[in-house]
Amino acid sequence: MPVPVFLLLLGVALLLQTTILEQVAVIGVKPDLVMLLTILNGFLLGTREGAFLGFAGGLIEDLLVGSYIGLNALSLMAAGYLAGAVGVRLNREHTSVAVGVTFISVMTGLIVYYLLSLFLGIYIPVFFALFRVALPTAFYTALLAPFFFKRLLCFIKVYGQEL
Amino acid sequence: MRWVTAKRLLFLVVLLTVTLAAMRITTPERTWSAPLEAKFRDILAPVQTGLTWIGRQTKQLVALPASLIGTAERNRALEQEVARLRSDIVRLNEYRLENQRLSLLLEYKQLMSHRFDFLAASVVARDPGNWFGMITLNRGIEDGVRSNMFVLTPEGLVGRVVTVADKTCEVLLITDPRSGIGALVQDVRTHGIVEGVTGGLGTVKMIHISNDAPVEKGQAVITSGLSSIYPKGVPIGEITDIQAESSGLFESATIRPYTDFNRLEEVLIVKTVLPEAVSSSEGG
Repeated sequence: MPVPVFLLLLGVALLLQTTILEQVAVIGVKPDLVMLLTILNGFLLGTREGAFLGFAGGLIEDLLVGSYIGLNALSLMAAGYLAGAVGVRLNREHTSVAVGVTFISVMTGLIVYYLLSLFLGIYIPVFFALFRVALPTAFYTALLAPFFFKRLLCFIKVYGQEL
Repeated sequence: MRWVTAKRLLFLVVLLTVTLAAMRITTPERTWSAPLEAKFRDILAPVQTGLTWIGRQTKQLVALPASLIGTAERNRALEQEVARLRSDIVRLNEYRLENQRLSLLLEYKQLMSHRFDFLAASVVARDPGNWFGMITLNRGIEDGVRSNMFVLTPEGLVGRVVTVADKTCEVLLITDPRSGIGALVQDVRTHGIVEGVTGGLGTVKMIHISNDAPVEKGQAVITSGLSSIYPKGVPIGEITDIQAESSGLFESATIRPYTDFNRLEEVLIVKTVLPEAVSSSEGG
């Protein structure tokens, strides 16, 4: 995916995430669109692109938040890389595979985020971190994957990126 | 006068007389009807009904092609009108709800004006993730906002300002895991610390509650005033659950905040705690 297009989509995702997504939060959890974007790109394009786009997207998110710069960058990088690593071994044109990879990658990204938070001295009880944040977020985000995956796949095919 | 002429004249007179009499007695205001007339009407009624129906249908059939001319245009215009009216209803409803919320804020502001100097603000953005609880408000340095001012709603405490820009500021919600507030169980006057768990969870924890304190579910928790940021007595929430801490020396409680953080739209930033409030806080 061309970087300007990715940045544009990232901007839209961040705007949605900080504003209206709060309205669709379920049990206090909203889907992570930035992570979804990163993971689907990583899944379709490979580890290098996944890690790069994840780091870039996370860094922009960190700059927007204005604190702990690098926290989102590293966790999204991990999620993007994992999605890319899994993607090369699986059928990358199948939506259900993309949904599964999204779920696992979001979980991984959020666990990395949690561990980095501990490193920063922010303590969140493990139970709440896993079962009230990571798991519901991964589930909710994975549910949205089918809506974006096919479009992204078409877009990437049109732009001639090899799968 | 010939006999034939006289007969005709008589017939005319009789006819006129009968007709005039009939006219007189059959006015619409009369309350009776002649048996023959009533019978006649009853017999004719079904026929009339059928004929009227046929007439109407025919009229419609004939008029249909003519009425179809411009129907599409009228339909489109009506659809647009309906859409516009629906949008108006939604907008007006939004104004009504906003008005209700602002009225509440204003009422609270007036009620508490002896205690706090308030500044009303709107929530313009939220933390993009699910871990932390931060909100961005549309007030900044230009409005006199400074770090560590605390934020509340008529329901209860919201958090404190952590960073300020010219036109906006960021507020750390009490649900954020990085937040800690000195608190007091109102009924039993037991101290503890209220901490956030995760931003989206909507509940907070009160830790380090003395083991022997008769803390119960449903009791209110307020700020203790033992900090430089929050004055004493600001409502935080209600105890919903009590657990023993792993050390065995203290208890902790789950608290449901009075403020609904998922529906936060307008808040009040406390710019100044007025001297009366300070002295009353110090006095307990």
